Amino acid sequence: MIRAALIGNPNVGKTEIFNRLTGLSQKVGNFPGVTVEKKAGRLVHQGREIEVVDLPGTYSLTAHSVDELVARDYIVLERPEVIVDIVDGTNLERNLYLTLLLLEMDANLVVALNRWDMVKARGMEIDIEKLSELLGCPVVPTVAITGDGLEDLKDSIVDAAGQKRAKGQDAALNYGCDIERLISKVEDLIRKSPALVEKYPQRWLAIKMLEGDEMAMEQTRACLSSSQLAEILSIIEAVEAAIK
Amino acid sequence: MSEYAENLSSALVQRRYEWIASTVDSTVKKGSGEIFTLTDMLDQVFLDKHLGIPIFLTILWTMFQFAFAVSEPFVVIIERVFEMLGAWVNQAISDPYLASFVSVGVIGGLGSVLVFVPPIFGLFLALSILEDSGYMARAAFVMDRFMYRLGLHGRSFIPLMIGFGCNVPAIMATRSMDSEKDRMITMLISPLISCSARLPVYVLIAGALFGASYAGTAVFAVYALGIVLAVVMALIFRRTLFKGEPSPFVLELPTYAVPDASSAILHMWSRGRMFLKKAGTIIFWATIIVWLLSVHPWEATSGGQVIAESYIAWIGHAIEPVFQPFGWDWMAAVALLFGLVAKEVVVGTYGILLGAEEAGLGDALVSQGLFTPLTGFAFMAFVLIYVPCVAVIGTIAKETNSWRWPAFALVYQTALAFIVTGVIIAVGRLAGLS
Repeated sequence: MIRAALIGNPNVGKTEIFNRLTGLSQKVGNFPGVTVEKKAGRLVHQGREIEVVDLPGTYSLTAHSVDELVARDYIVLERPEVIVDIVDGTNLERNLYLTLLLLEMDANLVVALNRWDMVKARGMEIDIEKLSELLGCPVVPTVAITGDGLEDLKDSIVDAAGQKRAKGQDAALNYGCDIERLISKVEDLIRKSPALVEKYPQRWLAIKMLEGDEMAMEQTRACLSSSQLAEILSIIEAVEAAIK
Repeated sequence: MSEYAENLSSALVQRRYEWIASTVDSTVKKGSGEIFTLTDMLDQVFLDKHLGIPIFLTILWTMFQFAFAVSEPFVVIIERVFEMLGAWVNQAISDPYLASFVSVGVIGGLGSVLVFVPPIFGLFLALSILEDSGYMARAAFVMDRFMYRLGLHGRSFIPLMIGFGCNVPAIMATRSMDSEKDRMITMLISPLISCSARLPVYVLIAGALFGASYAGTAVFAVYALGIVLAVVMALIFRRTLFKGEPSPFVLELPTYAVPDASSAILHMWSRGRMFLKKAGTIIFWATIIVWLLSVHPWEATSGGQVIAESYIAWIGHAIEPVFQPFGWDWMAAVALLFGLVAKEVVVGTYGILLGAEEAGLGDALVSQGLFTPLTGFAFMAFVLIYVPCVAVIGTIAKETNSWRWPAFALVYQTALAFIVTGVIIAVGRLAGLS
């Protein structure tokens, strides 16, 4: 069985796509430990069974709101085979932020470029091949309200599940050598803890720590020695001082 | 490091946006100039400074009209079916205990609640259509300016709208708010938004006492009362418990879309089935308990015929004094007591106590003279405000991770219910109503 998770900004047609994919097979429950509603459903495509989980709609994946935290924990800890990021084709500028964060999490991503009809109606042109190349993941145009492109999307989910994204594949975004140097320094420290390496994508965790993300800090605290932690904190402090 | 960044994390964010800008630049060709879309056109009207709020109120009122008008014939059909079923059961089952259980307990109690499936589904359908069309986000936007002045956050508007369906998902929907203070205020006032579980009570009472031509207005008045109280309480909480300014509101307005019929129906179903599930479980059990209490002791009540001799009458008379100032009898007292479980049970309780198979429940209320229009309206207001149902209390406990807040909600709402109902009665009597 392929486990796939749907994610996207609010109001991009995620619910419609989820409904189209799973029909009446939906089950509503809760994400463990919190009361965020978890909707899951199943479908069979190309003889493969796919379980689809609908993650909360979010713009970002910080630790500030319960919804974002739930989505992020699900991706990092449950490691679904495929993440389907539903993107509003008419508003890539805003939507790609989440996509970028997902790529950073080493997620095996499929991007559904939704509202494709609106894109065309507005006379916009999107170079799908190029976008797919830049993101390093398949991009499928869809129209949720009519169901166009959903068969292609299912194909891509099955394909993506077959080919795991290589761990440590070149990051889509290079933060520039000054920041990249910091990231690899922190990454080196993270690698010293087998528990962290096992549990989290290292680059992602390193970036989160540099951002001062509370949850990331808390989770690493348990796995790193105090001197290693102090070292990370001093890296961050040094940079912050340099900026000021 | 970038010269604009204030700290490391904003430097990271800035790099991400630079990357996005360059990616979009190299893959997207904008259409030939900005076109004035239908969405822009509609927004010029719907988001207008002066027209926005009147339009919103009109749409809201239309939504209720739609829900009631569409469901009306179905309500009549279901009512008839239950009436016929009740009459048939009385003839077909010879054992008096079993016959009473089925005809009074199940059909009279649960049946009187199930009659309200159509308006509840109608309301959910209307809400789904409003959401899917993209108008709901505009409503939040339009209301924000107004709500901000009241110390409420614009984003709290959407949970409150959801509250018209059910307060439980409304409280859950407050999660999308990132300020803890804004979230707590919204959570505490959302039970005041009249959910669909209270609708059966209003429809029953208003339909019986105000006649077809004024019933709709009376129901709308109770809804409006709920909204006004929510706003007043929000103001009070903002000044006392959660001091501070509401955080700024950023909301994205989706493009308008023609709602897809199947998705709207699916939406309606997924919410409506919660009501059916509740009817099959908690409401069912509560009405069964009411029935048991109303026919026992079996001999004294001569097999459920003389309810005045039953345990439930005894309980009712015990708590009746509390409600006597409002002009309500012991039946109202027990109905409210069992309504703590779920507010639909208020109607279910009346269904059992009045054993109204022969005529409609509303007619029985009138013929027994249990309420005057004034005390009836006060009763509707009390049902609106007093203790949110068990599910809401549980949800507040889960969401706040404490028992302090649900306890607080319980106490403040009950106190508020007594105060507001008292005011209604007092003002009504001063105005010469009985």
